[in-house]
Amino acid sequence: MTATTSDPKAMPAPSVAKDDHSEGMSYLESLPRKTVTVYIPLIIIMVVLLFPFYWMFITAIKPDQDLLDLHGGNPLWVGEPTFRHFYKLLFESNYPTWLWNTMFVAVCATFLSIVASVLAAYAITRIRFKGAQTVGGLIFLAYLVPPSILFIPLSTIIHVYGLFDTPFALILTYPTILIPFCTWLLMGYFKTIPYELEECALIDGASRWQIMVKIIIPLAIPGLISAFIFAFTLCWNEFIYALTFISSNPNKTVPTAIVSEFVDGDVFRWGSLMAGALVGSLPLVILYAFFVEHYVSAMTGAVKE
Amino acid sequence: MADAAIARTTAAPGEPSTWERLKVNRNWLGLWFMLPAMAFLVLFLVYPLGKGLWMSFTDARIGREGRFVGLENFEWLIEDRDFVRALIFTIVFTFIASVVKFAIGLYLALLLNNNLPFKAFIRSVVLIPFIVPTVLSAVAFWWIFDTQFSVITWGLVKLGLLDRGSPINWMGDPTMAQGVVIFANIWRGIPFIAITLLAGLQTVSPSLYEAATLDGATKWQNFRYVTYPLLTPIIAVVMTFSVLFTFTDFQLIWAMTRGGPVNATHLMATLSYQRGILGGNLGEGAAIAISMVPFLLAAILFSWFGLQRRKWQQGENND
Repeated sequence: MTATTSDPKAMPAPSVAKDDHSEGMSYLESLPRKTVTVYIPLIIIMVVLLFPFYWMFITAIKPDQDLLDLHGGNPLWVGEPTFRHFYKLLFESNYPTWLWNTMFVAVCATFLSIVASVLAAYAITRIRFKGAQTVGGLIFLAYLVPPSILFIPLSTIIHVYGLFDTPFALILTYPTILIPFCTWLLMGYFKTIPYELEECALIDGASRWQIMVKIIIPLAIPGLISAFIFAFTLCWNEFIYALTFISSNPNKTVPTAIVSEFVDGDVFRWGSLMAGALVGSLPLVILYAFFVEHYVSAMTGAVKE
Repeated sequence: MADAAIARTTAAPGEPSTWERLKVNRNWLGLWFMLPAMAFLVLFLVYPLGKGLWMSFTDARIGREGRFVGLENFEWLIEDRDFVRALIFTIVFTFIASVVKFAIGLYLALLLNNNLPFKAFIRSVVLIPFIVPTVLSAVAFWWIFDTQFSVITWGLVKLGLLDRGSPINWMGDPTMAQGVVIFANIWRGIPFIAITLLAGLQTVSPSLYEAATLDGATKWQNFRYVTYPLLTPIIAVVMTFSVLFTFTDFQLIWAMTRGGPVNATHLMATLSYQRGILGGNLGEGAAIAISMVPFLLAAILFSWFGLQRRKWQQGENND
């Protein structure tokens, strides 16, 4: 929507550091000066940002007796790492089921949202029906409605529809969070695709549906990947709906299960709790590692558009 | 408009049947394409929003449709000490967390905008707190700030700043717990702000800085009169989102403290859950949730004016 970012497809390029090889005026900075003004603050911030993960990992592989003995040795290091907590998690608890639930719900909800969003974004940007602008604005507003004000009325609606405590309660409600975001993101991508392509196809007798499936979607693949990854992450992360709409243990998703099922007053729970948190984050981190650029462009794109 | 001409030519020959018209007319076509998204949003967003508003005026409980009671819920809430406390804490929480997140986020973005070795790698690492599910990192903070076995306490003792016999009661002391949840929220929010602002920074042409420097601008002046004005529109949007999500935060608090100790860390969202779902007073819970709306509207208006400003800054109607 801005002049600088009106081309979201080109956007990852300027917004990505690796493309900027020019030194600019940075040669004016001497190394010692840069160390003090840049490297040291950066290292401090990074350490604070990453320490919780390090601590999670160390806790997860620590033997139980070391966990509660801070002053015996150095708590930041593990003498004899153990995978007992992970073993317990994966083979003696419902954790695999929760992981599967989370995955299932996230994939289904994301898929539904992407389909609905592609159609909506195409209609708003290309068919330009009467009121398309208004609908686009309303969808943006929908993005600003937080789940925390909807969960109570939604829980009664879920009961009425008979969806309570089923994965469908989540699969059908998550798209309300995802569709506004995905539509908004995809609209940006669709706008960058030249009209001429579409006009040629129309002249050749293609229907709107064919145009969308055969021309627009293949050209917007990067946008679709961004939308998919971001939506998937949001689903995985979702907590309040999962907490409210799911009650029985085997139907829970990882975030809710971690908070409610592992907290049993056992002082030794910390190891399994941390192992659970780590394993629960792992799929997202792996996905993220492969698609960093898409992820960043989704995040910045959604904000800029 | 060439598009419109084409639509006309496709529809022109002969008398199109109603079905044909439904397939070609752009308003009908638009409707078909919008249908799935609209169905989801109306059924699970607009309808619940309306229903929530209605419920806030009733005395609904779990398993019982409510009776209309007018503003009674809100009258009760205003006199309820816990609600007022949650409201004040929500505002304080949002204010402190947003200001600090913004300051550190912008600082981090400026740092990352330098020429650094492994820049892309560093940027990816910085984002990790944002992608790891909030609840799972909240669990880590819960353990880090455990009263007996806190690694922070251990660190402070090691550094000689704290006597070993007097551990800090991080999560047990109301003020301390409030500080801890604010810290955790800041920790989680920084990457989002830093990375989006970094994307904004990278669109600023280096020649502007060169020109300003030639005119004798200091580093601070460069930031104040070049970077900051160019960044204002994106700052407005990012901060609106940040304020919105901080204000309506639920999971961080629920995973770390569940509103305790003595209700000191309740945000409006958690209080609404506790009263509405756990306590079963759906009407009251909905009223608490609806009380958040005026604040959300304020945030949205703030964003809207931010966007307006961006329009006149660029002077064009750029789509």
